[in-house]
Amino acid sequence: MHPKERRFGATRREFLARSGGAALSLSTISGILAACSNSTTAGTAGTGAGGWPLGPGGIPLARPSHPVKMKRWEAPIPSGMQPETGGTFTIFNYPAYIDPAVIKAFGKKYGVTVKVTPFDDITTGVTKLASGTISPDVTEMTPDLLSRVVAGKLVKPLNLDYIPNLKNVWSGFQSPYYDVESRYGVPYTVYSTGIAYRTDQVKEDIPNLKPNPWDIFWHAQKYTGKTALLSEVRETIAMALLHRGITDLNTEKASLVNRAVKDLQELYSICNVKVGDLQYETIPENKAWLNQAWSGDMMAGYFYYLPNKQTGKVLRFWNPGYGKGPIGNDMWCVCSTSKKPVLAHLFLNYMLDNGVGYKNFVDFNGYQPPLNEIQPETLVSKGVIPQNLASCVLTESDFGPKALQEMTLTTAGQSLWQDGYATFQSGA
Amino acid sequence: MYPRWLWPLSALPGVVWLLVLFLLPFYAVVCVAFGSVDPILLTAQPAWNPSQWNAGWVNHVLQLLAPGNIYWDVFIRTCEYVILSLAGCIVVGYPVAYYIARHASRTKSLLLILLVLPFWISYLMRMLAWINLLSPGGYGLRFLSDTGISSLLYHAGVISDPSNYLGGESFTVILALIYGYIPYFILPLYASLDRIDRSHLEAARDLGASPFRAFWHVTLPLSKTGLLGGAVLITLPMFGDYYTPNIVSGAPSTSMIGNQIDLYFHGGPQPTIGAAITILLSAFLMILMGYYMWTIHRASREVPV
Amino acid sequence: MSEALATRPAEDSFGLFRRLRGWLGNPWGRPRFLVLVAWGYVVWSIAPVVIAIQFSFNDSRSLSVWHGFTTKWYTSTDPNIDSVFHSAELRGALAQSMKLAGLDVLIATPIGLFLALGLARWRGRGSGASNFLMLFPLVTPEIVMGVSLLLLFSHLLTIVPFGTIAQVLGHVTFSISYVVVILRGRLFSIGRSYEEAAADLGAAPATALSRVLLPLLLPAIVASAAIVFAISIDDFVISQWLSSGANSTTVPMEIYAATRATPQPSTDGIATVIMVITLLSVVAGVLVYRFFTRGESGRGSAVNDVAGFGI
Repeated sequence: MHPKERRFGATRREFLARSGGAALSLSTISGILAACSNSTTAGTAGTGAGGWPLGPGGIPLARPSHPVKMKRWEAPIPSGMQPETGGTFTIFNYPAYIDPAVIKAFGKKYGVTVKVTPFDDITTGVTKLASGTISPDVTEMTPDLLSRVVAGKLVKPLNLDYIPNLKNVWSGFQSPYYDVESRYGVPYTVYSTGIAYRTDQVKEDIPNLKPNPWDIFWHAQKYTGKTALLSEVRETIAMALLHRGITDLNTEKASLVNRAVKDLQELYSICNVKVGDLQYETIPENKAWLNQAWSGDMMAGYFYYLPNKQTGKVLRFWNPGYGKGPIGNDMWCVCSTSKKPVLAHLFLNYMLDNGVGYKNFVDFNGYQPPLNEIQPETLVSKGVIPQNLASCVLTESDFGPKALQEMTLTTAGQSLWQDGYATFQSGA
Repeated sequence: MYPRWLWPLSALPGVVWLLVLFLLPFYAVVCVAFGSVDPILLTAQPAWNPSQWNAGWVNHVLQLLAPGNIYWDVFIRTCEYVILSLAGCIVVGYPVAYYIARHASRTKSLLLILLVLPFWISYLMRMLAWINLLSPGGYGLRFLSDTGISSLLYHAGVISDPSNYLGGESFTVILALIYGYIPYFILPLYASLDRIDRSHLEAARDLGASPFRAFWHVTLPLSKTGLLGGAVLITLPMFGDYYTPNIVSGAPSTSMIGNQIDLYFHGGPQPTIGAAITILLSAFLMILMGYYMWTIHRASREVPV
Repeated sequence: MSEALATRPAEDSFGLFRRLRGWLGNPWGRPRFLVLVAWGYVVWSIAPVVIAIQFSFNDSRSLSVWHGFTTKWYTSTDPNIDSVFHSAELRGALAQSMKLAGLDVLIATPIGLFLALGLARWRGRGSGASNFLMLFPLVTPEIVMGVSLLLLFSHLLTIVPFGTIAQVLGHVTFSISYVVVILRGRLFSIGRSYEEAAADLGAAPATALSRVLLPLLLPAIVASAAIVFAISIDDFVISQWLSSGANSTTVPMEIYAATRATPQPSTDGIATVIMVITLLSVVAGVLVYRFFTRGESGRGSAVNDVAGFGI
């Protein structure tokens, strides 16, 4: 998303926030529910073969160590068909999360009118898809929600014959562990979670902080009122887990999650921590000094929010690095409601075109697509990104098998995390 | 002279509108709160038929509202903020309304216009104005520190950082609430004070009451309905406020019950829990409202004005 | 203040002391202390807004340090400046606010008018309950209304799309009651004698309504339209809960988003523009009201009435 377009509530940050927020709690009261109603919880919990836990619709929880090949709930469209033309092609997406010029070119190429229907956040989007009140052709998606929309039959299985450009993406995304064989989606952008700060205000050398850079938040008395965490269920608690040295960011152990929440609650008295997703704007503007942040944030801040480029030199992003901090990605899927399934496939292919992907990234979106052709070193050497923010750029090696990604939880696990986050947010 | 059916017919569109878009939505909230959750997509599944209601979610929220649990803290904090803001509105607003109603003669029209002016200025703009004032280098911040008020507040323990009022201070939230809501409090109060017949006061004076006693025994009771009306008018919306703390603080340590509702709909949706909190809040506010009605009813019998 | 000084020309320090004792002994009796409080309040309530307006003309991005006068935050076409009249986002928000307020006035005023007439004169089964129902939106916290309409449109009336249509329906719902309260007050003060006189003179009911009652109600209708316009423009919560994203953002939503991040002079600017529009509509309403009620005796300047309407 173009950071300038982001001031409205529905920001990409919130999108990421809500994708984690999709987690909906049931377990704490599932007993009561079971007693009171006949509503079924079948298929949302339990364990599958070998005791591996199951997520929505009985689909096993995907982990790098446990890739999941989802069943195709219907046959993909046959190969070799001509794209549908005429009429409207609807993209369901975050507002301003795709370059209008790119969309326009796509419409021109295939003779359709392209319309973007925005959603506030991905879970609201899924709710709208589920309600049938809208019928887009393609939708933005996140990996942790993918099994949910597949189980709910909201997205169609893909025929990759139409998407030859998938070969352009990092090899890890050609058949990702959460969607082996890319049966339902293709990647769009990638990011990591770290700490954004200003060197003129924060004197600690955060990347070299021992034992753990995340601890800075628990020593942030000097930055009271200027410190914030992402407003996101999974990210806040995951950060507190990492602070304790726990790298299983999908843990469902109540003791670990509850301790993480207690740790977060300590931050009220330590630095009166705030919660928000506007660090790409507040840090460059000196309104905040120390924030949990996504990798694209400081780039966005550098590009758009600095009064002068000189100030850009004080911006830093600590990227925890491979296997040490959370990484994530967004995807595109074809909606079940699409009346133009062939063209929808071609859209997915179009977005993975090297030229289109790069243009969308540097001209508008600011978030990096996982395309082989985009070389991080050249981004810095060409001066697109300043040296002090080189840590914002990700490479394929960041997404190896040991990468930490916040993924789908069981229903009980979601409840645990969600309740913990609500507790933290209550300021109790 | 008019046919009998005319007036019910005239009221019909409005009544239907309110039934469909005010009462029915409330029923929808109840049905969601007493409904279930889609096991796959985790969306709310309202139970439209009351015989299928399950009280599980509402009980869940009620348990969390018990002392020592998370909603209890939020609820108590909300009550504190509302009560302190209301007190602030009374302390500031009563003298102002009293003066304009009673003593401002030549300047009355001007003062009235100025009193009404904030009504026509967006609440959000008035909050924005305070953000400007309290930002680093802002006039308000300079004023507060130059006059020594900041250090006074700091040493009294009211604020934790005299240079950063926007860093998540309860004091700022309460100040913003007072500033935001006080126009809605002053006007009904002014109206009721303005209505008081001066002859009542003159009678009290003639009977030898000191001005203070006259105020205490005549003016104050006669303005009670306005006072209560203004209080209700600002208290109820304050209980549902979430944007004021978000704007001037943004820290969980100042979150109100409205923030919690907002969270469940916008910040990691669990609409069923959000709906349950909403109906419990509404029930609580109905009790406040009932108390107000009862007081008004009693007052109208006691003081025949 | 000037009043107090004028009536007491010269006083020595002993007089001052006596006066101080007088204040303490009887703070309510004379307005000296109250003058300060009242004017202090007025300054406190207005000054921050005036300063915000001032900074919309600041020749810098700062909202707290003055760098000189400019109108660039309103008129600049520089793509790096989000000016009020040229940034697509801010213009869109202005247009959306105006659209909602306009539609709200067009729908809520007639519905409210008919409802006020009906409720004032209908004495039958259901009238009491309808009266009660009408009062409720006035005391319901907006978040409760927002939640309930959100759930209504997502689960029951799913044909209503979020965005402008849902927002208009929400705005009308909370506006109707204001129209009714204002018009009913006017109806009671008019009484029925004019219409009865018309009927006695042979006017048909339709004529009595359109030629007698409606003109008498007109000033109050204008006033309520102005008020509906103003409360619709001021609304934040309902607009936010029923929006469909960036294309249905209103000015208050824009201001809210900006205050949570880093507001710019153009944020002050758009707030100023919307304030001026609101004030103009209110002044127009007051003038029209005055024009129609000229020659009417009794209490109640337009200011008084408009003040009363605010409640």
